[in-house]
Amino acid sequence: MTAPTVVLQLDTISRHRAGRATVSDLSLTVESGQVLGLLGINGAGKSTTLSMIAGALRPDKGRIVLAGEDFLEQPELARRVIGWLPERAPLWHELTVKEHLEAHARLRGLAGATLRQARDRTLERLELGSLGRRIAGVLSQGQRQRLGLACALIHQPPLLVLDEPGNALDPVQVAALRTLIRELASQGTAVILSTHLLTEVTAVCDRVAILHEGRLRHDAPLAGTDHQALEHLFFDIALRGAQESQAA
Amino acid sequence: MSVIAVARLEARRLFVRPLAWVLGALTLAELAWRFVLLLGAFLANQIRLAAVAGGPGYTDIVAVPTLSSLLTSAAMPFGVLEMALVIVPLLTMSCIAGERSQGTLPLLFGAGLPAWQIVLGKYLALLGWLVLWLALAIAMPLSLAHGIHMDTGKFAAATLGMLLALATLAAIGVACSSFASHPAIAAVASLMIGLMLIGVNLGAQLAGVSNGVINWLALGSHLETLLRGLVSSADIAWFVLVSAFALALAIRRLAADKERG
Repeated sequence: MTAPTVVLQLDTISRHRAGRATVSDLSLTVESGQVLGLLGINGAGKSTTLSMIAGALRPDKGRIVLAGEDFLEQPELARRVIGWLPERAPLWHELTVKEHLEAHARLRGLAGATLRQARDRTLERLELGSLGRRIAGVLSQGQRQRLGLACALIHQPPLLVLDEPGNALDPVQVAALRTLIRELASQGTAVILSTHLLTEVTAVCDRVAILHEGRLRHDAPLAGTDHQALEHLFFDIALRGAQESQAA
Repeated sequence: MSVIAVARLEARRLFVRPLAWVLGALTLAELAWRFVLLLGAFLANQIRLAAVAGGPGYTDIVAVPTLSSLLTSAAMPFGVLEMALVIVPLLTMSCIAGERSQGTLPLLFGAGLPAWQIVLGKYLALLGWLVLWLALAIAMPLSLAHGIHMDTGKFAAATLGMLLALATLAAIGVACSSFASHPAIAAVASLMIGLMLIGVNLGAQLAGVSNGVINWLALGSHLETLLRGLVSSADIAWFVLVSAFALALAIRRLAADKERG
């Protein structure tokens, strides 16, 4: 087992929208093989943070270091380093499952036999083989979510960014997803998992970061923290945050 | 490499959607009907035309008017150019506005693609479809070229003009799609700009003004020269400039999307 390396470092990043800070001075570090749970109530800034990490949004200020390089200076790093599953898994409705995987693989620079191997491996891993020729527009929500995850994994990125990946999955699929995340982490992939489900975090994460109104309120390893303690902490932060907002 | 990946993705999406096939089939059917009518008119007057020294031939009466009626004063409307004014906005409307409304645009940004690669890739895919469409349209007059005297130089110049006009309309369509929040808005904007570029100098022409900025702005002024068989670098430069300007606007708008979210 190799020593963990820092895959992602957020250095006081901020993002404003309509004059309001959606993310404010956020600093975080994620190491290889680590699963970080990003918790927060709706509107806490989780999706904005993940979009900035994935390169789909630019922070107004701050610095993102990805695999030791300045990500804002070199946005093309996203191509090989990051796999991103946005919320609600956006897909091209008219393309088949296989075409999705091939398109994502090409966008990530894969071609020829490497592309075909990556496609087949990912189809098998996400149990999408039987759906290969089906167009995305007719997939169920759970199948769409799995396809979105497959697209994020096709190039075996060192950093996987998942925004509410358990949405619309049935309990069996949720269990399979948890196993997959742990398996990827054991192979050295760093995973950031955004969710508002505490059970999701306690089941798979090594560390938890709690966001409230765009600010990081808690960041600590999860070892020894049970579901009840995390729930208590989460509600305490949410309640305190609401009181601070009212006072302000 | 990434530009090609985007172009392949866009081309695939274009070819699996029924819209492109329906538009292609119906417009080619109309062009075929138009070609047959023009050919019929040519055959009916062939003996009379043969008696006129230096009179119009197959190229002037059939081949070039298949490409455009507006600029060659042909009796029957809707050549390739007139069709393109309608179908190019319909083809280009979804290329960026559709991605935006489906929520798939961030996937392209998330793959580390800069705005220029996304815009150029999509533009090339659309251009590929339009080149294929134009090739099928010019195949009609060319199919008789072996048995008839054809002014190949003149027809080549006219085809080049059509190609440049299609490329310009496609660039305008991509730009409109990058600014619009919904594909339908992009289509309407692109159609109106296309019509405006064609007709901007109509008033000036009616007033007998054949020079000046208004005439320079009009797509028709530059296309007409090429349809008459005259290839001028100034006309080619106009098409290239307008296309480049439209694509630059699209790139700027898309880059701003990433900045603003």
